[in-house]
Amino acid sequence: MYKLLLILKYLRKRRIAWVSLVAVTLCTAMVLVVISVMGGWLRMFLDTNHALGGDVVIYTDQGAQGFGNYQAIIDGVKKSNLVKAAVADIETGGLATFNNRKQELVQIKAFSDMSEVGKINSFAHSLYREYKQPLKQIDDDPSLSVDEKARRVAALDAKGPTFDKPFPADDYRHMMPGAPNSGFDAGNLPGIICGTDLILPKTETGSYDRDKYDIYHAFVKLAVLDFSTISSATPSMPTRTYWLVDDSKTGLWQVDFNTVYVPFDRLQRDIGMAAQYAPDGKTIVRPAHVTEIQIAVNQGVDVYKARDEIRKIVDAVAPPAFGQEALTVESWDEHQAQFISAVEHEKVTLTFLFGIISIVAVFLVFCIFYMIVVEKTRDIGIIKSVGATNWGVAQIFLGYGLLIGIIGAGMGLLGAYLIVHNINELHAWMGREMGVKIWDPRTYIFDTIPNTMQAADVIWIVSIAILSAVGGAIVPAIRASRMHPVEALRWE
Amino acid sequence: MAQTKPQSPAAPSSTIAPSDASAPIIRCSALAKTFKMGDSRIQVLRNVDLSVRSGEFLAIEGRSGSGKSTLLHILGALDEADSGQVIFDGHDIAAFSNSSRAKLRNTQFGFVFQFYHLLPELNVLENTLLCSMIEKSYLGFRAERAELRERATKILADLGMDHRLKHRSSQLSGGERQRVAIARALVNRPRVLFADEPTGNLDTDTGRQIMDVLEKLHRDNGQTIIMVTHDRTLAREADRTLVLRDGVLSAAG
Repeated sequence: MYKLLLILKYLRKRRIAWVSLVAVTLCTAMVLVVISVMGGWLRMFLDTNHALGGDVVIYTDQGAQGFGNYQAIIDGVKKSNLVKAAVADIETGGLATFNNRKQELVQIKAFSDMSEVGKINSFAHSLYREYKQPLKQIDDDPSLSVDEKARRVAALDAKGPTFDKPFPADDYRHMMPGAPNSGFDAGNLPGIICGTDLILPKTETGSYDRDKYDIYHAFVKLAVLDFSTISSATPSMPTRTYWLVDDSKTGLWQVDFNTVYVPFDRLQRDIGMAAQYAPDGKTIVRPAHVTEIQIAVNQGVDVYKARDEIRKIVDAVAPPAFGQEALTVESWDEHQAQFISAVEHEKVTLTFLFGIISIVAVFLVFCIFYMIVVEKTRDIGIIKSVGATNWGVAQIFLGYGLLIGIIGAGMGLLGAYLIVHNINELHAWMGREMGVKIWDPRTYIFDTIPNTMQAADVIWIVSIAILSAVGGAIVPAIRASRMHPVEALRWE
Repeated sequence: MAQTKPQSPAAPSSTIAPSDASAPIIRCSALAKTFKMGDSRIQVLRNVDLSVRSGEFLAIEGRSGSGKSTLLHILGALDEADSGQVIFDGHDIAAFSNSSRAKLRNTQFGFVFQFYHLLPELNVLENTLLCSMIEKSYLGFRAERAELRERATKILADLGMDHRLKHRSSQLSGGERQRVAIARALVNRPRVLFADEPTGNLDTDTGRQIMDVLEKLHRDNGQTIIMVTHDRTLAREADRTLVLRDGVLSAAG
C-alpha cells in the first residue's frame, strides 16, 4: 500500500519526473506515427497492387510488343481448378488531348474481357459513375430495406466495368456534329475511362469538385504508336477520339494521375498488336499480342502453388521459340518484389533509427530517477527505518518507472492516434499555413498519407516503451534498495 | 521519577541490569562498533552490555559524538555492531535476515528521531499510517483501513494533533512534527520505542511537552522506551539513566 501511495505522491509532486514522462510520450508517439505511416504505406501499396494486378501475372521481358498466343494460354490456365479467372491486357503509352485543349502523356490500359475483370482486380470498384456513385445512392436511399440494399450492392458488385456512354448517341452527335457527308458519326465513338486525378483537380480538402466540371461531356483524342510500323521510316501514330464515360480512382496516385482505359480491340488494332494475316486474309502471320495476363486464383488456394501450376501450363501451351526467353510467371508480390523489399528495408532502418533515439528516453529516465533517488535519500532512510525491506524500496522506484511508462506510453498512443488519424488534415493545414509539403504523391505513389494504426504495432511499441521506462528505473531502484538506513537518514 | 542507582562502577565492560527481576525485553552484550574516518578508525562503542526490561523507560545520556545514537541504531536493528550480541525477546537479531530485521523494525520497534523524519509528500494521517501500510499488503490494509485510520486518528488525538490530519509536515511546527513522528512510531503498537534526541531540535517549552508525552506513554501504557539525549535534565526523568562516554556505558553518577 505504501508503495502505491508513494509512487502516486512522487508522480504528482516530483515534477522533474514529468520530463521523463514527456520523453516516453514523445518517443512512443514518434515511433508509432512513423511505423503506422510507413507500415500503412507498405500495406496500402501491397493491397492496392494486389487488388489491381490479380494474384498471378504472366508477362514477357522482351520489349513493349508483348507476347502472342495469349488466348491459348488463358484457355489452358482456365482449365486448372486452382484458377478463378484470367484476363489479358495491353499496356502502352500515348498522347491524350482533352477537349482539344489540355494534352498529357498517358499510360493506356485495355482488358481483353471486361466481364472477367471484376473477378480479377479492383478496377470495377474504382469507377465513379458505374460503381461508387450508384453505391452511394443505394446507401443513402432511406426507402430501401437492409435486404434490398444488400441485394442491390451484390448486383452492382457482380456487374463488370463497361465503356457504356452516359448519354444517348444523339446527344453526342449534337455536341460534335462533324462535317456534312464526311461519314463521321460522333454517336458511334467509343468510350474512354480516365484516372480521376488526370481529369479532376483536387480541392484543398482533398475531395473532387465534380459539379464544377462537366467531365462526362468531354472527349479525348488519343494518339498511340503503331508498333507494326516502328521499323519503317515514318512510324504511324493513329489517333482516335473517345467520349469520356467514367473516371477511375484506384488509390495509386501514379495510376490515377496518368492512366486511361480504352476498349481492348481498338487499342490492339491501333498499336499494331492485333493478328496480322497473309494476303489471303486467312493465314495468320503474326498472332494477336498482349503485354500481360492477369490471373485470379480461387479462394483459399495458395498463390505460389497456383503460380507453379500456371508455369507448367504456360510452358506447355506457349513454349519459347528459338532465341526467345520463356514468359515470366510470377505471383503478385514477386512482381513487385524489388520495390517491396526496398520499402521493407526502409521501414526496418527507420525503426532501428528511432529505436536508437528511444534509448535517449531510457537514459533520460535513468538520469532523472537517479537524481530523484539521490534527492530522496533521507526519505529512503525513513521508509527503511520504519520497516520497509530492500525489495520494497526497489519496488517503489520500479513501480514509479512502470507508472511513468504506462502513462507516457498511453499519452504517446493517444497523441499518435490523433496525429495518424488526422494526418492528412494536418498535412493539408501545414501546407496551407506554413507552405510545408512533406508528402508528395509523385514520390509516395498514393495521394493520401496512410492514417490507420495496426493493433500489433501498437502492442509491441507500447510494451517496449513501458519496459524501457522500467529499464531506466532499474539501476536507481537497485541503488535505493541497497542504501543503508542509518547512512540514508544522515544524508545531507 | 526514580533514577536507578549505579550497580557497579563504570568500567569498560559494564553490565547494567534491570531494576526488577522481570525478564529483559532487549539486552546486548559486548557490543563494539568502529567507524572508519579517512585513514583513522574511531571506536564508537566499546564492549557495551545493556539489559532493558519490559515497560522500562531508559535514558542514555551522552555528549555529542559519544556513540549514543549508534548504540540506539544497533539496538533498534537499524545498524549492526562489529561484534557482540543484541538479543530481543530471546532472539539474536544479528542472525536475522535483512527482511526479518525490517519486519522487526516495523512491528516490534518504533523510532522517534531528532529531526522528526516525516515524509514531506504525505500528510499527517498518511505519515502516521506509514508503518501500518508497510506492515500490511495492499488488500490487507484496505480491509482494515477503517480500523487503522481510527487507531491512528485516536493516537493523533491523544497527542493533540487531530485537527491537523490533512496537513503536510511543512505546514507544522517542530513540536507538532515530533508529535506526528511519535504517533507514527506508536501506530503499530511497538514493544520498544526508541527515541533519538526527541527534543534536540525543539525549544525548551516544546521539548518539555514532548517529554511529557513520552512520560505519559510510559506511565499510562507501560511503553518500553529507550531514549538517548545529551540533556542530563531530561535524562533524569527516565526510570533509569545510563551515561555513554567514549564508547563505554556506565550508570549515571
